[in-house]
Amino acid sequence: MFSKHVTKDISAYCHGELSPEAARQFAEHIIACAKCRGEFEEIKQGIKFAEQLPQLEAPESLWKGIEARLGEERRVDVSRRAWRPRLVAVAVALVVVAGLGLWRLWEKTSQNHLSNQFAQQWWQVQRLDGAPRIGSQQIGTTGRLGIGEWLETDGSSRAQIAVSSIGTVDIDENTRVRLLETAPTEHRLELERGKMSAMIWAPPRLFFVDTPSAVAADLGCAYTLEVDDHGAGRLRVTSGWVALQLKERESIVPAGAACETRPGVGPGTPYFEDASKSFQSALKEIDLQQNSAAGKQALNALLNEARWRDTLTLWHLLARVPHDDRALVYDKLAGFVAPPPDVTREGVLQLNNFMLARWKSVLEAHWNPIGIGDKKGLLKKSLVPLKKPYVPER
Amino acid sequence: MEQRAVMVQQPIDGNVIEACQQGDRDAFQLLFETYKDKVFSIAVYSVGGDRALADDVTQQIFLKLFTAIRDFRGDSQFTTWLYRLVVNACIDERRRRKRWLPWGEIVAMKHTGDRKPQEKQFARVEVAEAVREAIAELKPKFRLPILLKYIEGLSYEEIASVMNCSKGTVASRLNRGHSQLAKRLAHLNNASTWND
Repeated sequence: MFSKHVTKDISAYCHGELSPEAARQFAEHIIACAKCRGEFEEIKQGIKFAEQLPQLEAPESLWKGIEARLGEERRVDVSRRAWRPRLVAVAVALVVVAGLGLWRLWEKTSQNHLSNQFAQQWWQVQRLDGAPRIGSQQIGTTGRLGIGEWLETDGSSRAQIAVSSIGTVDIDENTRVRLLETAPTEHRLELERGKMSAMIWAPPRLFFVDTPSAVAADLGCAYTLEVDDHGAGRLRVTSGWVALQLKERESIVPAGAACETRPGVGPGTPYFEDASKSFQSALKEIDLQQNSAAGKQALNALLNEARWRDTLTLWHLLARVPHDDRALVYDKLAGFVAPPPDVTREGVLQLNNFMLARWKSVLEAHWNPIGIGDKKGLLKKSLVPLKKPYVPER
Repeated sequence: MEQRAVMVQQPIDGNVIEACQQGDRDAFQLLFETYKDKVFSIAVYSVGGDRALADDVTQQIFLKLFTAIRDFRGDSQFTTWLYRLVVNACIDERRRRKRWLPWGEIVAMKHTGDRKPQEKQFARVEVAEAVREAIAELKPKFRLPILLKYIEGLSYEEIASVMNCSKGTVASRLNRGHSQLAKRLAHLNNASTWND
């Protein structure tokens, strides 16, 4: 059953003010509910702005003004000499209070780690195998990865990171990662090289992984990400969705699909891993040299091999193939799933952003039946069934 | 100079408060030094950016504190009690002046912080300025919880205690405040350099 909307709790969730159980229910709802997710994105942006609010420094002259206005009559008979021993006592008391505070903080953190999810500036790391290192220090059974610190594994070590309370990341052998940010509105890891597997249960676009050739934005999912020594990467999604981005270039990758990334180019075109080998090799060719004769030949081979499910690849190719080839891709795509009534052939060929997004919103139900905000399959129900074979416009 | 809002509260020991209650000027100065920037920040944001006026409001707050601290019995946390005093003083000032002064109309904010030529640094300064303006335009009931959250680093429970309302009300007002900030500053969403 669909749970109640959670918009009233959005700020409280972002500030870690909800109980662990309430936070879990919140995340589950927001992954499934497009309405709440829309408001979540807006409030998250508001929080990002509010975090830019600077604290100001009071002018030096302020105390002199206060002192002058206090007046002599308020001066009491407490000399500085009498105060100094008490100042020492106060300092000692402050140290004791601070110590007690730290101890209580530690106690509270260990008892209720989840409720403090957004307050801490580090992530818990657990050793799985061998001797992972944080900085130059080997960790024991567990360790803490602070902001700016590197976690590194060698050929025989592995580790698991608890990403605040929103998920886990398994770090494979020969991998180097760094914690860049952990804040209410953003958790960000850098994968310099190696392989990691993430399992995230949080609202979309809260967890990011920077790689040398793209940024992986979690949309509520499980995935593995590999980066080789040259900075090229490969993403495989096992559940949910991931967006790979580099500047204006973005690839949306659903469960069962994969996507390569290359330094200086960004994310390639995503494809389902059960696509034929010839489809995959043709796609690789297109991504590498789409403007050449070989690229054109590869496109024809890909279109011949394309299945209904490969609309994922075809939709992404619309904006990536040369203009002259776009009509071929459009016709193939429209042959599988008709565009909605408000999407025209001409508009798509001109790369009208609204029309591309509108068509994608229909196609997404094919790419991942339990899509973003589509646990009830609403998008799938909105599909326009093809009553007769599609005939390309001439 | 400006500092980014920090979420750390310097502790003021019970002995310092007791000394203040006995009229000890040095103890009071210690208390002043601990809270002056935060109190001044709230005052500036509450009076539309007029630093001279904020200076005066801050002085009044500390003068009142110097007298009122004798009545502090420790029934609530000192910070909660202090910020209640600050919030009330700012609300009184608003009533006295009948209206909030539009941001920047009186005195333009003077930036003495580093203004590195890099685009990112410049973008951050511009965004901070836009955020200050947007916050100044919020209704006080939405603005004050935001100031208490981001300048003072208070929890929802502490904000509720300062504002004499429920935690649910604090959550709701912060939601509304965040939402309005996002709408007013939507034009900055594409300026990605500031939040990279």
